[in-house]
Amino acid sequence: MAGTTLTDPVVLAGRQAPSRVLFGPHETNLAAGRSISDRHVAYYARRSAGGAGVLVTETASVHDSDWPYERAPLAQDCAPGWAAVAAACRDQGTLVLAGLGHTGAQGSTAFSQQALWAPSRVADAASREMPVAMEQPDVDLLVTGFVRAARLAVDSGLAGVEIDAGVGALLRQFHSGLTNLREDAYGQDRLMLTREILSAVRDEIGRDVVLSLRLSCDELAPWAGVTPEMAVEQVRALAPLLDLLVVVQGGPFTASAYRPDAHAPAGHTVELCRQISNAVEGALPVVLQGGVVDPGMAQSALDDGVADLVEMTRALIADADLVAKVRAGAAATVRPCVRCNQNCRVRDNRNPVVACIGDPRSGHETVDVDVEGTDSHEGQGHRVLVVGAGPAGLECARVLAARGASVRVVDGADRAGGMLPVVAAGRETFGDLSDWLISECHRVGVSLALGSRLNPEDIRAALSSGESVVLATGSRASTPRYRTDPGATVITAADLLDAASRGTLSTVVGPGSRVLVNDPVGGPVGVAVVELLARAGHQVSIVTQDQIVGTGLSLSGDLADANSRLQQAGVVRILSSLLRAVTVEGALVEQRWTREQRVIPTDLIVDASHRLAEEQLYDALVGADVSLRDELVRAGDCIAPRTVHEAILEGRRAALTVLSRVATSRSRPSVRFEVAR
Amino acid sequence: MSGQSKYRYLFSPLKIGPITVRNRVVFSAHLTNYAENGLPSEQHAAYFAARAKGGAGMIITEEHSTHPTDWPYEKLIHGFNSAVIPGYRRITEAVHAYDVPILAQLNHNGGQASSMFSRLPVWAPSAVPDPLFREVPKAVDQHEIREIVAGYGLVADHCAQGGFDGVELQCSHSSIVRGFLSPATNERTDKYGGSLENRARILLEIIDVVREAIGPGRALGVRLCGDELIEGGTRIEEAVAVARLVEAQGKTDYINTSIGVATATLFMIEASMHVPAGYASYIPAALRQAVDLPVIGVGRFKDPLQADRALAAGTCDLIGVVRGQIADPDFVAKARAGEASSIRTCLSCNQECVGRMGLNRWLGCIENPRTGRESITLPAPRRRGRRVVVVGGGPAGLQAATTAAARGHEVTLLEREPQTGGQVAVAASVPSRAEFLDIVRNLLSECQRTGVDVRTGVDADAAAIRALSPDAVIVATGARPARPWWAGDHARVVDVRDVLEGRAAPDGDVVVVDDLGFHQATSVAELLADRGASVEVMTPGMVVGQDLGITLDMEGWLMRAHAKGIVQSTDLVVMGATAFDGGKDGDGVTLDLLHHPTGAQRSRSCDWVVVATHQQPVDELWRELLDDPALEVHRIGDAVAPRRAHSAVIEGHRVAVAL
Repeated sequence: MAGTTLTDPVVLAGRQAPSRVLFGPHETNLAAGRSISDRHVAYYARRSAGGAGVLVTETASVHDSDWPYERAPLAQDCAPGWAAVAAACRDQGTLVLAGLGHTGAQGSTAFSQQALWAPSRVADAASREMPVAMEQPDVDLLVTGFVRAARLAVDSGLAGVEIDAGVGALLRQFHSGLTNLREDAYGQDRLMLTREILSAVRDEIGRDVVLSLRLSCDELAPWAGVTPEMAVEQVRALAPLLDLLVVVQGGPFTASAYRPDAHAPAGHTVELCRQISNAVEGALPVVLQGGVVDPGMAQSALDDGVADLVEMTRALIADADLVAKVRAGAAATVRPCVRCNQNCRVRDNRNPVVACIGDPRSGHETVDVDVEGTDSHEGQGHRVLVVGAGPAGLECARVLAARGASVRVVDGADRAGGMLPVVAAGRETFGDLSDWLISECHRVGVSLALGSRLNPEDIRAALSSGESVVLATGSRASTPRYRTDPGATVITAADLLDAASRGTLSTVVGPGSRVLVNDPVGGPVGVAVVELLARAGHQVSIVTQDQIVGTGLSLSGDLADANSRLQQAGVVRILSSLLRAVTVEGALVEQRWTREQRVIPTDLIVDASHRLAEEQLYDALVGADVSLRDELVRAGDCIAPRTVHEAILEGRRAALTVLSRVATSRSRPSVRFEVAR
Repeated sequence: MSGQSKYRYLFSPLKIGPITVRNRVVFSAHLTNYAENGLPSEQHAAYFAARAKGGAGMIITEEHSTHPTDWPYEKLIHGFNSAVIPGYRRITEAVHAYDVPILAQLNHNGGQASSMFSRLPVWAPSAVPDPLFREVPKAVDQHEIREIVAGYGLVADHCAQGGFDGVELQCSHSSIVRGFLSPATNERTDKYGGSLENRARILLEIIDVVREAIGPGRALGVRLCGDELIEGGTRIEEAVAVARLVEAQGKTDYINTSIGVATATLFMIEASMHVPAGYASYIPAALRQAVDLPVIGVGRFKDPLQADRALAAGTCDLIGVVRGQIADPDFVAKARAGEASSIRTCLSCNQECVGRMGLNRWLGCIENPRTGRESITLPAPRRRGRRVVVVGGGPAGLQAATTAAARGHEVTLLEREPQTGGQVAVAASVPSRAEFLDIVRNLLSECQRTGVDVRTGVDADAAAIRALSPDAVIVATGARPARPWWAGDHARVVDVRDVLEGRAAPDGDVVVVDDLGFHQATSVAELLADRGASVEVMTPGMVVGQDLGITLDMEGWLMRAHAKGIVQSTDLVVMGATAFDGGKDGDGVTLDLLHHPTGAQRSRSCDWVVVATHQQPVDELWRELLDDPALEVHRIGDAVAPRRAHSAVIEGHRVAVAL
């Protein structure tokens, strides 16, 4: 809406939402059994306190035939939790809606041990499990389920409900020609069931309660799926029944199109949303969903009439205070979401709890101490030396300085950010997090000394002068586990990315080279390196011990897409194979199951193996004086090289350790966070 | 003849340190995912009590973690938290009620873990990332080693307080102790690395503190890996040397064994039916020759006679029967009573036990619907003596029939074919899948014992059913093959069932199209390759047989497929099929294919196409009976939606319980 800002209120069903930012429903694995837990309440309350306008709780199954993942909420178990969320968000005025749905053939039989419900007997592409085609009594149970769940939500004090007809929803399966092959009325009119449900729910809850619909408006499968043109017709038909519409994208073959990682451009659904908004012609407020993480982009969507509200779920996972900061004119201090999906996308058998690489406290509100805010002075008068300006060191310094400590960060490198700007050569958005950490450190008065390498004597001097010392010295390359012949050329992925980040890639890879990337990790780095090299015009192959490339990418949702992109780019995938030796002719590769070896002619090998902790300084200090073991605080890759999430988590813990020592005494440590009890 | 006299050794008591076992069958340690919030649950107690009641000689629980840095999977028992003790007591009291000793396994998984749940660095002897978890661990310093050792003492004390008769140290397939013992993961240069004595140092230190914690009145066992089956890993010679060191220390009461590393060679630890029974016996045999301590052998011991033979051969002193007692808690009692033929033998299919473990779900069993549900009491029948007609003798119908009969109903089962077994019998006709047949063989034998009137060769229509004047009808009519949309009526495009049921005998150049991702395509591919065909398996997925990994069948399939020259092609969608006259006998098929990641189109000509694809339910009878309001009609198994055998069994049981 032209003239409105993101932080302006909006009225839905006569109720005012304090801003135009929506925190959407998403899997968290925070549930206790199948009910909304105290951890959920704290998670939502924090987003409400940070200014979210509309908040939709994790989608609850409306009928017990649906149990898509172990900790999926079940509406009939949610009333006390919904009431607690409503109470926790009441003071801020956030409109809290209950996410209600049924995942149909996209669910799981692992927990219910009953056949999946679906419009027709079409197995889901991902699970390959054959569902049962719903009979009329099943349809009746589903409608009743939605009505009862909506009643329960409203009676629990929520402002309304959001019905799921999105990417993983049974209602979408009814809308789609891919999955609805019925010959009855629900097949002839594929929108009939949704209409029946919305009418029945509206009849139950009345006009002064928000009724929202999350609708997949493009399944990206035009041969039989829902197309934007079809969605326009659907929206026109449903608009009179609704108070809010969330436009989403994706279907059974394109589940990753819903909340893709940064391989998709930010705001990838803007044009789709514009098309739907234009068709609605103001009859109902429309929400833009799809990778909008930047407040500026969200505002543009309002300015351009793309939408009336913007869903910024991941952005609010990264910074719960986004709206409040924008409202205070401090948009630049919003911790960026880099759309990595590494810790916030948790639909995984292991039931990981939602978190964020940049803010590990997300999803852990009741577990971790709050480190935000600058009104604390507990570190005042204390001096801290942080060795290493990577994410662990910068986060540690940021937290300490915000609490009044006098902090200097020293790094031998010529730029701050550690691995972040290096990784950003292949995964651009990681640079945003690096920039944010650096600028926040500057804002809270951290002094940053680059190009300065400290030796053990410097550390001892600092300690004896009363300075606390935190080591965040990062990682180093590991010793290859394959043979490397003299004259053979191997470069680590980190060195290659570092060169690329400095614009000097051509100095390490000649034009049109044959490059083989060794990736025993299967994470985002190997794939990023391969894509970088392929884009630069090299002939690239990647060797992995696995049957596919990037097995570790399943959590972030990029696994299938990454393998497709590599094949589209003409990258040769050498699967189920091990790099045995690097010779002057190339790479000696062994097939795991046949033990056959062959030489792949290459000009350069890039090794994306695991790295090792950089412990030189620590070893020298503790080797000379074992009492320093308890004196020195460590964080991040220098303990064990892992991801940025662990670096930031441990950077915070290191800061808290230092502060707790200040609080107790100036000499002896009382708390060690390397092992939390 | 009494059961006991059939076995020379199985039922001879054995002293294991301070405790004596009544027989040689051990319900050895295995994960269950029954823990709730890190604590042992009521389900744990009910699960172990059922096996104690069934006569197990000794029970060893799943691992109890000794330190907060160890949290590799969500539902781990946090033994280091003293809050576990009441749960321990609940387990030990339930088991002791049957006079069966129960030990607790202590463990720290070391580098075979991630920080996902602990949010702490993973600890290991050296910074060698595990092949599965792929997280670089922190190489522990000696201060941390002392903390690890102390953790074992702490948890041993918790176990003693919890009433356990002893503890077992898992030093085998997923353990920080294994990590220290193995040259593949121990690169240390201090007194904990290098020579075998150094690598075994932490083990001996742990034994010291654990013995101190439990005192002389409880048993202490050490489980060693005899062969890691990885490059540069521990081999049998070193395992023997470690066993000698342990024995010489004089504080351990028995040695347990295992094979493989849980995160690299798991497929050999919990081997599926493709691996010969007794495959790991060389390990206990070698250890038993070297030490006087009692030695436990494991590895696909499926029946009591096989176990007795291993004892007779001197392979080991005790036999670990895990999956056998998951499938049938009364394994021992039935053997003792001379009713070994009524044991519901394990198939080693790994679908609901091992398979569910890897997916963070509760442990179950494909053929025992009560496994994992022992703590939930079944409701009494609403009314006994109802006349029940079951239509269809596949796993669903057989299970429904036997459960209904056992609950006091009068059951008639009608099967159209001359034999019962349904599609299981078809699937098990592939030689390498023969053990799968046990599920329906066991069920049929149960039906016979529970008094089900099994009538085969009966094509039951509605009239025939009404003629039996049933109170309830259970329709378990299964599924029929469905032709893919692209197949048309081409005679050389056939279903896997056509091949296995003998209606087609593809030869020459054969393409197998896999839409299902399980054994259907791969087992037929192997069968045809064995018969001399040249075979290519094709899938729209990213790998052929995606779900074989879950049951630990993937590695074996890949090895056999390569050996048999079977080609595997991925990411391909069949878009059409036309006649091809250029083949062996001029009557072949050309498939139009779409490589969906790139959009490239190609064609593939061959002599035959065999499809493993979704079937259709046979539900006409159900629909017909549904119209009769006087009749109580239920539908189960593939007749609802064609799925895998476990769905059939579980639905058969559920519907019979609800009668």
